[in-house]
Amino acid sequence: MNLKFKNKKITGILAVLPEKEIKFEDEIDNYEFTRRQSMKLKLVMGFNKRRVVNKGTTISDLCVFGLNHLFDRKLLRKEDIDALILVTQSPDYFMPATTHIIHGRLGLKQDIYCSDINQGCAGYSYGLNQAFMLLEQDKINKVVLLNADILSTKVSEKDRSSGPLTGDGAAITIVENDPDGKTIYGSVKSDGTGADALIIPAGAFKLPSTEKTAELVKDKAGNYKALDHIDMKGDEVFNFVQREVPPMINDLLDSAGSKKEEIDYFMFHQPNKFMVKQLSNVMGLSEEKMPNNLVENFGNSASVTIPTLISFNLGQRLKKESFLICICGFGNGLSWSSLFLEMGNLDFCETIDYDN
Amino acid sequence: MENFLSSISEILEVESVNLEDELDSFEAWDSLTVLSIIAFCDSEYSVALSAEEIDNSGTILGLKQLIESKI
Repeated sequence: MNLKFKNKKITGILAVLPEKEIKFEDEIDNYEFTRRQSMKLKLVMGFNKRRVVNKGTTISDLCVFGLNHLFDRKLLRKEDIDALILVTQSPDYFMPATTHIIHGRLGLKQDIYCSDINQGCAGYSYGLNQAFMLLEQDKINKVVLLNADILSTKVSEKDRSSGPLTGDGAAITIVENDPDGKTIYGSVKSDGTGADALIIPAGAFKLPSTEKTAELVKDKAGNYKALDHIDMKGDEVFNFVQREVPPMINDLLDSAGSKKEEIDYFMFHQPNKFMVKQLSNVMGLSEEKMPNNLVENFGNSASVTIPTLISFNLGQRLKKESFLICICGFGNGLSWSSLFLEMGNLDFCETIDYDN
Repeated sequence: MENFLSSISEILEVESVNLEDELDSFEAWDSLTVLSIIAFCDSEYSVALSAEEIDNSGTILGLKQLIESKI
């Protein structure tokens, strides 16, 4: 489904990385594989360093820390926030929504629209779409989009397929009206028949967590995981991404009347180095145009990867310059979503470390 | 498919392969190798394979026939 928005812009991006850094080489002994196999994986998949939360830290902690950072530096004023959107799959509670937890902890005004969105790796463009839609309202002038996940806590330590690449983090994106803004083009697609390709089978209402769902079971590839953990069918997800993402981007750029060559950066979700590399090969894009350095530095933090990738690679430049950027996320659902927009002259674009 | 055998040898990290070789007899045979074969078939032949199909194909010949049946 193609979407179109007028007179909107992103005015700031802040990525919040948790304080704990894990190195893949320190974890190799958790897995039942030879050292040689693991080193090959490191090279191809980009397993290296990742940032995760300490036990007890929640996504509201990361978001509150980041928002306070902006309040303290006068980069954002509490009273200006008309809507608070949070994209997450690791909420503090099933109820209430974590946006309300954050709202209460920060003492935000009552005249506000708060809503959680349950999306994974496709969630950055989903959240931005929602923010743009809210800005159509006369009373809403500034939307704060939060993307946050701590899914490292839902991965088995003995699962080499997901463990070494899962990272945690949060990102804050400010979205506002802009009378001079250029048209923003978007696209969203869904395929619920692939729901089990990437799933946490237990822990919600259908299959509540029990001792049985916490039992580690060895799979065909030699990984141990429980029903409480993330279960990914890597081959299905890979085929889905290679099949659906390139045509979606072609359609999106066609609808905008633009060509690939005119785009400055393709900021895509970063599941692992291998998958991004394959996408850039198929789409004929260089690594310079399509950065692929997030997983090896911070890990895959679901919908937080794209804003972190933007801040990590363009950072200060986005405060002075302006670029044509294509964003694309893809993940569980199955869900895939993209945006094509001009981004620049931001009030802030940086990455900070969470510190409690 | 003229480059098939040389490309598969490269993925399996050996000098050369024979059609009758069992896939799981190679030292490099693991889930990453399977993923590399999926990626290779996708970019080289525009053929999508699942990990299960590759596992079930048994030999280099079985894999070749699997790909040919989908081209």
